[in-house]
Amino acid sequence: MNRLLKTPITATLTKHILITDYRTPTTDHQNMDTQWPRWEVFKQDRPGKPFEAVGTVHAPDAEMALLNARDVFVRRPECHTLWVAPEAAVLRLTAQELAGRQDWPDEPATEGSEEMAYHVFLRQSHRRSMVAVTLVGQVLAASSADAMHQAVAQYGASDTVVWWVVPDSALIRSNDDDIASMFEPALEKTYRDQTTYRGRIFEGRRRGGTVKEVPGA
Amino acid sequence: MNDDLRAALAARLLATADDELMLAHRNAEWTGHAPILEEDIALANIAQDELGHASIWYGLVEELTGQDPDRLVFFRDAGEYRSAQMVEQPRGDWAFTMLRQYLFDAYEMALLARLAGSAYQPVADAAARMRNEELYHYRHSSAWLRRLGLGTAESNRRMQAALDVLWPLAGQLFSPQPGDALLNVEGYWPDLNELRQAWSGVVIPALEEAGLGETASAAGPDDRRVHSAHLDTLLADMQMVARADEEAVW
Amino acid sequence: MPPELTHDERLTAFEARIARGEKIEPGDWMPDDYRRQLIRMISQHAHSEIVGMLPEGAWIEHAPSLRRKLILIAKVQDEAGHGQYLYHAAESLGAERQDLIDALLAGKAKYSNIFNYPTLNWADVGMIGWLVDGAAIKNQTMLTGASYGPYSRAMVRICAEETFHYKQGKEMITLYAQGTPHQRRMAQDALDRWWWPSLMMFGPPDADSTNSTTLMRWGIKLKSNDALRQEFIDEIVPELHAAGLCIPDPDLRYDENSGHWLTGPIDWDEFWRVIKGNGPMNRERLRARRTAHDDGLWVREAMAAYASRSSVIGKRSTVSGQR
Repeated sequence: MNRLLKTPITATLTKHILITDYRTPTTDHQNMDTQWPRWEVFKQDRPGKPFEAVGTVHAPDAEMALLNARDVFVRRPECHTLWVAPEAAVLRLTAQELAGRQDWPDEPATEGSEEMAYHVFLRQSHRRSMVAVTLVGQVLAASSADAMHQAVAQYGASDTVVWWVVPDSALIRSNDDDIASMFEPALEKTYRDQTTYRGRIFEGRRRGGTVKEVPGA
Repeated sequence: MNDDLRAALAARLLATADDELMLAHRNAEWTGHAPILEEDIALANIAQDELGHASIWYGLVEELTGQDPDRLVFFRDAGEYRSAQMVEQPRGDWAFTMLRQYLFDAYEMALLARLAGSAYQPVADAAARMRNEELYHYRHSSAWLRRLGLGTAESNRRMQAALDVLWPLAGQLFSPQPGDALLNVEGYWPDLNELRQAWSGVVIPALEEAGLGETASAAGPDDRRVHSAHLDTLLADMQMVARADEEAVW
Repeated sequence: MPPELTHDERLTAFEARIARGEKIEPGDWMPDDYRRQLIRMISQHAHSEIVGMLPEGAWIEHAPSLRRKLILIAKVQDEAGHGQYLYHAAESLGAERQDLIDALLAGKAKYSNIFNYPTLNWADVGMIGWLVDGAAIKNQTMLTGASYGPYSRAMVRICAEETFHYKQGKEMITLYAQGTPHQRRMAQDALDRWWWPSLMMFGPPDADSTNSTTLMRWGIKLKSNDALRQEFIDEIVPELHAAGLCIPDPDLRYDENSGHWLTGPIDWDEFWRVIKGNGPMNRERLRARRTAHDDGLWVREAMAAYASRSSVIGKRSTVSGQR
């Protein structure tokens, strides 16, 4: 036995027990390539700032989705909280879809379902690129459709172009204990901040065409 | 600080920096070649953190000995390096990389927790800085350990094969160097036997829970002056540009 | 949109939205050809980021200082991140990343020609940052105004990060151009090889650019290939001269009348040769991507298998006992 093993990994081979318990005898995963499911990522830059939808990550499960979201979207500061949710859990609607939706006012709430909390996200500009889909509030609803119905009624101002509703129960969140290990390290990586390099981009243009001599030519 | 203590501390810091450097170098080799895009990004993050840690430790060596970190990295030969063979090994398959990362992260977590209380303040400060990043690494590599250990028969087989190679090499992380006793008495660096026990107490249950079993009992290298043949080729790659022009500032 | 509208009425309304500068969002009506062109263009762009990791990634292990090594890992990591953002934008149009990657690996999808050239010396890394990323920024800055919302948002994020790529490259080459004789030779050699391919990055001349008309009509592209190329030349030529480098074009001259730098003829035969798969590195680049993908298959399967049986979904694990 290796001298490292103060308590040796015993010959009882937990290995086989665990594997037997864990494996389902199927061939489901044979020759089936996958990029894993998509998860929507919501990022809050600082306390008090709203959560914004920043994109998606591919991940096999919730914990990996949160880690992947951090690695993809917090390469640079700053971030205070990350949420991820399975993409399929997010219900979306655009203003254009709403306009074409004639049966909308009569759509019933699901009977007999218990109400739960949904987060409402809106995008409120037709034009500017960087107006993200942003968290504006919560509604209690019996289903996603019901939540969307309420969201449109409550947050239906004329400038809204996109509505999303996300059930609270679908969210996986980073917490305050994660800030130091997940988000603060990006602050140390000053070498990837362009402002640490001298000069500005494309300075040549500002010099106009004044350089006409080709040095060394 | 007397000369003996200074030399002992510098040697320990150098070995610690060398480990981080080699692991960063190996992990960075995955950038562009990982199993899925998200992991290209994850591994490059870990490699940057480790290279950052190496820079901090080399910086502390410089404070003690005046040696420039880039000179230490790019102009030492294999025989002068004090890295452990575990981190010199080629990246192998994804199972090898992830299991090595897990074993090293568990070691570094235990080490940094103790160094944060070092009586040598610059070491304590450095360790406190690194611990947060390391906590994240540990979370990432533990997640992978469990999933690959329990994922499919193939992933389990690959993890077990990696463990069979890595386990005998891991002991070198805790191998003694001259002057260790001095460092321990001063409260500058923790006792490595105690560190090894703490490490084993964490990794053995985790390996078992990940469905990994008994491994060969082959004795691994002990002295950190003994390197694998991989270090020579690694250094040839790492140092070729720097050594092509000694006068240059890069 | 009311269902009774005809296709032509929808198209008119769609084009009116674009004319008003509105962003088209996922879920909105769009012509099939708009969707198809966007998926083609965005996925080519994503593939370029992914393949683009390879030429520079090959030099991470040779970076000659700790700082340069850190910077290069971060830069190549950003490229993976940009590919990730872009695949996401394509996914928002209904494409699947799996299918897009399969098309790349099967050699059916294009990516930027520039990555089919080899990186032969360390200064290539700096020259790619300065020239290639500089050219990319020109194109991407234009695309921040693209009519499709998710694409334009990805571009804003990417441009901000690309500025770091450009500046680190310029810093490196400027330093080397004034460094030791060995460094000066490296920098000039890199410029000699990357100058012409970087001008080709803007695509074929307007007269030969088959997709441009549709792309411009629908606000996906806002400037022509030749217009962007000229902007880039006017900006980069004085910068390279200021660094003391010699641009490998005997016909390059400043035209007082137009205020533009005019280059000699670009070798478009070379451009078409490379795009058809016969560049110096086409086969090698795809081989590397296929190897990574094939070697990763068991990993993706194992993670999916674990997830499918596991109760960890919806819960999060913590690092107990380690804090």
